[in-house]
Amino acid sequence: MKLIFEISEEGKRCATIRKPQIKSAKLNEKYLRKTELDLPEVSEVDFSRHYTALSRRAFGVDNGFYPLGSCTMKYNPKINEEVAGLEGFTRIHPLQSEKTVQGCMEVMHTLSSYLAEITGMDAVTLQPNAGAHGEYTGLCLIAAYHAARKDFKRTKVIVPDSAHGTNPASAVMAGFEIINVPSDEEKGVDLEALKKVVGDDTAALMLTNPTTLGLFEKNIKEISKIIHKAGGLLYYDGANLNAVMGVVRPGDMGFDVVHLNLHKTFSTPHGGGGPGSGPVGCKKELAAFLPDPRVEKTDKGYKFVESKQSIGKVASFYGNFGVYVRALAYIVALGAEGIKAAAQHAVLNANYLKVNIEDLYPTEKGRHCMHEFVVSMQELKDKTGVSAMEIAKTMIDRGYHPPTMYFPLIIHEALMFEPTETETKQTLDEVIKALREIYEEAFKDPEYMKSAPHHAQIGRPDEVKAARTPVVRYQK
Amino acid sequence: MKVLYRESHEWVAIDGKKAKVGISDHAQKELGDLVFINLPEVGAEVKAGETLCDVESVKAVSDLYAPVTGKVVAVNEELEGAPELINQDAMKAWICEIEVESVPDDLMDEEAYKKFIKG
Amino acid sequence: MADYLSCTERETKEMLERIGVKSLDDLFEDIPADLKLKKLNLPAGKSQQETMEYMTELSKKNKVFDIILRGAGSYDHYIPSMVKNLSSRSEFITAYTPYQAEMSQGILQAIFEYQSMICDLTGLDVSNASVYNGANAAAEAMLMCLERNRKTLVTFDNIRPDTLKVLKTYASRRGITVKVLSCKDGVADLALLKKELCETTAGVYIEQPNYFGLIEDAEEIGKLAHEAQAKFVMGCNPIALGLLKSPAECGADIAVGDAQPLGLPMAFGGPYVGFMACTSKEMRKLPGRIVGETTDHDGNRAYVLTLQAREQHIRREKAFSNICSNQAYCALVASMYLSAMGPVGLKEVAEACTDYAHYFAGLLEKEGLGRKHKGEFFHEFVTESEIPADKILRALEREGILGGLKLNAHEILWCTTETLKKEDLDRAAEIIRRVK
Repeated sequence: MKLIFEISEEGKRCATIRKPQIKSAKLNEKYLRKTELDLPEVSEVDFSRHYTALSRRAFGVDNGFYPLGSCTMKYNPKINEEVAGLEGFTRIHPLQSEKTVQGCMEVMHTLSSYLAEITGMDAVTLQPNAGAHGEYTGLCLIAAYHAARKDFKRTKVIVPDSAHGTNPASAVMAGFEIINVPSDEEKGVDLEALKKVVGDDTAALMLTNPTTLGLFEKNIKEISKIIHKAGGLLYYDGANLNAVMGVVRPGDMGFDVVHLNLHKTFSTPHGGGGPGSGPVGCKKELAAFLPDPRVEKTDKGYKFVESKQSIGKVASFYGNFGVYVRALAYIVALGAEGIKAAAQHAVLNANYLKVNIEDLYPTEKGRHCMHEFVVSMQELKDKTGVSAMEIAKTMIDRGYHPPTMYFPLIIHEALMFEPTETETKQTLDEVIKALREIYEEAFKDPEYMKSAPHHAQIGRPDEVKAARTPVVRYQK
Repeated sequence: MKVLYRESHEWVAIDGKKAKVGISDHAQKELGDLVFINLPEVGAEVKAGETLCDVESVKAVSDLYAPVTGKVVAVNEELEGAPELINQDAMKAWICEIEVESVPDDLMDEEAYKKFIKG
Repeated sequence: MADYLSCTERETKEMLERIGVKSLDDLFEDIPADLKLKKLNLPAGKSQQETMEYMTELSKKNKVFDIILRGAGSYDHYIPSMVKNLSSRSEFITAYTPYQAEMSQGILQAIFEYQSMICDLTGLDVSNASVYNGANAAAEAMLMCLERNRKTLVTFDNIRPDTLKVLKTYASRRGITVKVLSCKDGVADLALLKKELCETTAGVYIEQPNYFGLIEDAEEIGKLAHEAQAKFVMGCNPIALGLLKSPAECGADIAVGDAQPLGLPMAFGGPYVGFMACTSKEMRKLPGRIVGETTDHDGNRAYVLTLQAREQHIRREKAFSNICSNQAYCALVASMYLSAMGPVGLKEVAEACTDYAHYFAGLLEKEGLGRKHKGEFFHEFVTESEIPADKILRALEREGILGGLKLNAHEILWCTTETLKKEDLDRAAEIIRRVK
């Protein structure tokens, strides 16, 4: 389809504003732009058709099955969009006086306290704008904690080899060196290897639990002991909290700092890649270091407070407020029981999908998975030449979004399925049937699969060309 | 001039005090289509076995290690806009030139390297 | 209670049987029993209707002002109805990052169009798919400037306080010095800047217009930065770019800013969207996702996420930035806004903003609130007066007008946009006249 620039015609107008009633500014010529703007000029009907056409070439949870592992593509309730759009939330300036924004502050305070309860933490900041941003913030807290104790030699953060790529990248941004630890045979942290690398230079261990393989880290208590005995802190990457919320809390597992992803676990929409929101919770020993400002409840209403020991600000104003409104509406609707039920059904759906395909799509044996599981297509590839990617592309032809591919890095030809709790049994049964057929197809007609997808918006794109000779903007 | 290889698949062609460095044809095939070469800085002091620079394919980054100790005196700027030259002829597409200070003794000659990649 | 599950009890039972366990709890056997939680201490769930009532009540505890004369980083602009309407399509809202190009051409093309518009506004070659907000965009730009021996960012005390705070947070953990110079009559002091620039300066960061609404002599600042071989980073208000010289025309290497004024509501500070653009020379250091054009195997035009080897999911600890999620949805809204307004509309909005500001500054001067600075300004300006700022702002607030932002006891930072009418400004001035 055409770019909006390609349907542009000089002189066309779409939105218009009131004719100015006054003309009083005369800015110095030297400050004014000399190059003409080349923005699109379209009529309202052009506009509507263009964006409708784009939306029809997008695929969201509302379009169909979206088992993108680690991203928790659960249903985004419509009521959340409506409440976030209420004028009393959208037309509020962030720098209004406190007494005129008590509702916004109550949203922030209530959500923070609910998240603290769900994670078993003592204090929560909502400010970080996404998961990786939360990681960065959490690690800054850890740095500030050690520094406040004059424990300056703690410069290293330990990261398992199965971790999300953001973990090591965030730790480096927060000024730490990275120590990688391998996984053991059960795909958990190798305890012996961990013991070897911890020491008086350990600032923290970053862990996802359930791990990125969708398995609960059984040795969590032992890991917590090893890290804390060495004087380090335990960091919880909350990307996979959806599996265990209401069942077990990071705080009770021994974690000191946690980040969450409201756009994963708490049903706020992903919007094509954002906005997210990455609240950070911590134990009381670290609370003084949280970003400024925090909302406090007093007898005279809600107040913004700052801490002398705060790490400062990590984002403008108070973070992605509109996302908090949606997350609060979600938690309020579910309540204590609903939160737990969501986790239980996320795990139920993943296990149901797993048992019905694992004879063909091999995964970790003998254990129940949590909310997601990782299969390795190495054997199929050896036999037929059909790779994990080609399975994924064939799923597109059948109208399903593929799972996460080639992650975690420690599994060859990995596909990571996360159906989430909001998927119906009927859909899962259809997907099971489709996946079993796709597997058969790999033997019958591997060549056809290697050029999949055949019925998508486009055929397979030339990514080498895109990267070698980048064209990243429209030019006439 | 002699050509030696590292286990990490870099080649080095030593000619007196100067040595040109590239990646082996085997490495090129393993990496697939290269899309960018992060050339080292001219003037950088490098130690044998330490990271020299990296090369990018669409979905991966691979570090290259310095096969010898010395100072980078030139880089092959041709590769900046045309990383595919490495895919076309890896032995010809040198990445940088190093003024050699010392050569470690763990480098392999062509025969030994061929044996090594056969495993 | 709503739970958004769609599994009946019978189905649950069937599924458990197929898995080979008796109960849902059996699926969690890997979790040590003593760690398991008895019950969350949260209220019971609410029906949809009750949730709606609860959230509506909360929203009513906020005061919505009819007339807004406050900016300082969050701006009340007219949002075209087609932008609101088309952006609310659930295909856009419920999609994720377009990892699978073959079924995400709509999202990818939307980002490509956004990138193209940001390039057009800034005059620069490359834009990313957006970052969290303007302050974070500035911080990421600071990291782009770093070189082995250049670790100082020079800026002035007339940039947005939030941006400065975020810059300092990001700098503190990386051994970067943020040197904050004093401005002179509200604008960058060029003589001082020249003196401070040296061989360890990585970059110079200014905002256009600056926090006080004043227009900086960006070209001169850029020249000084480049003489010291430092990078020049401009933080810009995108509406002002409809009128003012583009960052490229001012010699900027990197342009950043918050695109909130382009169709996003103030929403108590977020979600907003940080834009980042740079020259092609800096492209490989640009953080975050970038969409590129290519072809599919039949030669059809196609869009993909490209230059991914820069990013954390591949480069891990060696990545320039940890950013993963962006603000794609907000970027979509911003690009819709620019399409709806077009070049003529954007310029009209920019002119209306600055015209009202100049008119209002004149009115305030008559009431004894003279401008503090001499320099030229866009749509924000600072007044000083004998009358306490609190008294003025309280009087306006009583009449449903959100006045400017109090900077100190006697100084106020005002802002006007095209949402205002001449009568609104006359009325505000009239209310102020009565405060004495």
